[in-house]
Amino acid sequence: MIRVESLTKVFRRPHAFSGPLGPLRTLLTRRYDERTAVDGVSFEISAGEIVGYLGPNGAGKSTTVKMLTGILTPTSGLIEVDGRVPWRDREANARAVGVVFGQRSQLWWDLPLIDSLRLVGDLYDVPAARFTGSLRRMRDLLWLDDFLNTPVRQLSLGQRMRGDLAAAMLYDPPILYLDEPTVGLDVMAKQAVREFIAETNRLGRTTVVLTTHDLADVEALCERIILIDKGRVLYDGGIDDLVTAYAPPRRLVVELADDETRTFEIAAGQSIPELIAQVTAEHPIRDLSIREPDLESVITRIYAESGR
Amino acid sequence: MAEVVRTLRLYWRLQRAAMRGALQYRLNLVIGVATGVAYQGSGFAFVWVVMHTFPAIGGWSLREIAFLYGLRLTAHALYVLPFSSLIGLDWLVREGELDRVLLRPLNPLVQIMAKRLGVGQLGDLLAGLVLLVVALPPLGPASALFCLAAVVGGALVETAVSLALASLSLRTWNTIAVRVFADDLFSKFGSYPMSVFGGAAQWALTFVLPVAFVAYVPASVLLDRTGELNVPAPVAYASPLLGVALFALAYRIWSRQLRHYQSTGT
Repeated sequence: MIRVESLTKVFRRPHAFSGPLGPLRTLLTRRYDERTAVDGVSFEISAGEIVGYLGPNGAGKSTTVKMLTGILTPTSGLIEVDGRVPWRDREANARAVGVVFGQRSQLWWDLPLIDSLRLVGDLYDVPAARFTGSLRRMRDLLWLDDFLNTPVRQLSLGQRMRGDLAAAMLYDPPILYLDEPTVGLDVMAKQAVREFIAETNRLGRTTVVLTTHDLADVEALCERIILIDKGRVLYDGGIDDLVTAYAPPRRLVVELADDETRTFEIAAGQSIPELIAQVTAEHPIRDLSIREPDLESVITRIYAESGR
Repeated sequence: MAEVVRTLRLYWRLQRAAMRGALQYRLNLVIGVATGVAYQGSGFAFVWVVMHTFPAIGGWSLREIAFLYGLRLTAHALYVLPFSSLIGLDWLVREGELDRVLLRPLNPLVQIMAKRLGVGQLGDLLAGLVLLVVALPPLGPASALFCLAAVVGGALVETAVSLALASLSLRTWNTIAVRVFADDLFSKFGSYPMSVFGGAAQWALTFVLPVAFVAYVPASVLLDRTGELNVPAPVAYASPLLGVALFALAYRIWSRQLRHYQSTGT
């Protein structure tokens, strides 16, 4: 469904000179500053997969998504989405993908939500009968009825995000890109968004590429993740494999009598009863627990090893 | 053909949505229109005062100047009414609004045009048409057709310059100052007989920034004054085509720059 090979994006800006005549020099000289945002990324995503595309801020996630949607033209490398090259065939590609940016709404700010959805229906040439059916499904899945006639600027963040999801899936695109869809949402709203994504993927076999900083999203939805940093792929594979491969040590967390909490790493092969005996001998303990390695600690470790 | 019909239909739908949005801020709308009318009214008054002080400018009578002024203003209105949101392109780029435009299956320029209608510029159209009709010289059918083509051609010349300059905003350069300056040159010098400016200035306003081709050259044709021009008469007769050619060129520049669009950081 999605094929990316040696994808690279270099941003080139005119060099900004300082000093009183700086702006003039910037205008007249041909010196550029270059920054490689995506550096030889390759991956393939099959139809019906939900893939978490993860990385710290500035890793190149958004730049990749923008190239997949055809907003940006790659500097080099190859992209194919549903058999098309997005930047060359931007409009045809746009019909095949739904996009939700958590930070920025796709809806018409001053108009009621229903108007935005109608306009999206028009823009994507959805026939009237199919539009009615799609809208009914979105209303049920995302509980839009309470605020369908409210201007978008008056919606809460959670409502707005549900509206954005409806707008992105209204024309049944086979691919859905989600760029931080749960950012800033409360627990309930996050849950609603996750359920919608899972449902869409299960029923419609929609391929989902999910960019997020909330690893709970990833654990709830994805079986596979692609981890990037500084524009390069660090890991591509199953979540379980990742945790096993990097297996950070389990940790013993003890709460001391004086309310202090201390953490001990359990080395591979170390006997846990012995460690507990040793710790209890040295400190008066009120409570203790053993923490299994979670995705977050694994990923933190990978970033640390990649030199961040 | 079906694609053209679809584009026009969507343009209209988006434009109507934009107007519904703007109507939520009724007072802004009223102030915008009123300011537009007042601004053009004052320009009109200025010409009137000048013409009552000097009987002629560069050998052109009051009526001829009024015709030239009307031709320029009408052409300008035909450019600015549909393209008024191009003025905010720097902002659209900076705020990442252009990303949103590029995600939709519709020509990006059409979407930007449909962001708003320059209602505030309705005053330009009104003032321009009044001047044009009042000062219209007697025209045969061929000349009337040429006059119509000249207005459209003039609008296309201004659109082309504005679009070509705005294209550079796609590279996150701030072009608004340059565009305002170019717009200023068009409105300050485009409404008078160029012969009053003299050699070098007239040359620059003809061949560097084609201000002369918006109204002065076609008006000279209609007023039978092609002898005064610094271009041969056949070129003057072809001036509406220049607008079409320049617009085609500007659109190519725009499309090229769109490929180089760098978006924002997030």
